[in-house]
Amino acid sequence: MSNDEARNQRILELVREILEMDDDDVIELTHRMREDLGMDSLGSLELLSRLSEELRIDMEMEDAMAISTVADACAFVNRNYQEQHSAAATSS
Amino acid sequence: MKRALVIGGTGFVGLNLVDALLAQGVAVRCTRRKRSITVYLRRRAVELVEVALDDPEALKRAMLDCDAVFYTAAPYPRYSIDAAAEVEAADRAARAVVSAAADVGVPRLVFTSSTGLLDPAPAGRAADARDIPRQMPQDSVYRASKWATHRCFAQARREGLPVSGVLAGGCIGPWDVRAGTGGVLIGAVTGLMPWYTEGLVHLVDVRDVARAHVAAADPRLAPSDHCLPGHTVALGAVIRQCVARYGGRVPEQVLTVEQARTRADLDEQQAAAKRGRVPFPREMVDIVSAGQSIDGQSALGRLGMELTPLSSALDAAHGWFLRHGYLSAGAEKENERCLTMKHETNASLS
Repeated sequence: MSNDEARNQRILELVREILEMDDDDVIELTHRMREDLGMDSLGSLELLSRLSEELRIDMEMEDAMAISTVADACAFVNRNYQEQHSAAATSS
Repeated sequence: MKRALVIGGTGFVGLNLVDALLAQGVAVRCTRRKRSITVYLRRRAVELVEVALDDPEALKRAMLDCDAVFYTAAPYPRYSIDAAAEVEAADRAARAVVSAAADVGVPRLVFTSSTGLLDPAPAGRAADARDIPRQMPQDSVYRASKWATHRCFAQARREGLPVSGVLAGGCIGPWDVRAGTGGVLIGAVTGLMPWYTEGLVHLVDVRDVARAHVAAADPRLAPSDHCLPGHTVALGAVIRQCVARYGGRVPEQVLTVEQARTRADLDEQQAAAKRGRVPFPREMVDIVSAGQSIDGQSALGRLGMELTPLSSALDAAHGWFLRHGYLSAGAEKENERCLTMKHETNASLS
């Protein structure tokens, strides 16, 4: 499993936890956070807050408002992770 | 004050309080729970400690070496459905804080309360801290919850703990993550508030409330309750002011208090099943229906403060909501779900 895939997996775990979903509920990358999964803005904020803490990245919540689907969330997190951690590696 | 602990620093009042403390050069320690939204707090120069209120030893460790402890984390009922559970949660949390503070010997404990707690004042004077109910209010889950918190801290003060309360009006301003009173602004500006009920509301800039907390921690002030209602205005006038300044729509339906209670209760019953939000929560109906003149000048004088104009508070809140997507197309979709629920409620009422 690649690092991106591992992060995506963690995102799905957290979505499941925040929405208190059952283990057999399916989450697809194409699912829309609000419309399909019922995640409100507070839930999204909790998701990104916890990911930013676990992954040690600083995400601009203003930019996160464009997130619609689970895939968008994964891409947003992975992009931030790669930008910030590659910058950290370069500067160290 | 050299060091302070903020319990509830990830929330609306808490974040603004942290800013007010940092601006005064105070070292700030904040508690957080596992699921706290820490993304905003972590950008500030604070010490963050994971503490659950049911862990007394961790709570006491967090309070050590602090000149003041601020409690801005009193439970806020999400729905006005289960009064007993809300009161029990408020009481349990307050008792944990008070007990730890007493054991540690905290020099000053300041907690956030609400002017919505006050009973009607006797004829001839404005309401103030003398009108804090002696018995648990039976007409409002929100008021009952606030009463439970207040009772616990007031009891601790009677027993000698240096406790001060800040009874704030509806807070307006930046960092309103859960969009409490600010939900009125959002509803008006998005044009999706379906109805409202008319009455007096008290709105105060959250940054004034934060400064009031800091001032109330001054050891030269005797421990007491400070009423900070802010600006007293009719709710309809606030909505019209928001629409005039930022666009949107004034709701056509103005319900009586009884109609509003019925509607809000039905909305909340439906929303609770999906853990959704309602367009006009029951606690807002309770607050509006209990609207009265409240003396804020006495506390302003004691605390050495002046109020920020309401327009500045609204501008700050609107700017923050705009930047954080609460007024965007996505947020409107969330509000539309509320509207759908409203239509379902209308159908069930007809």
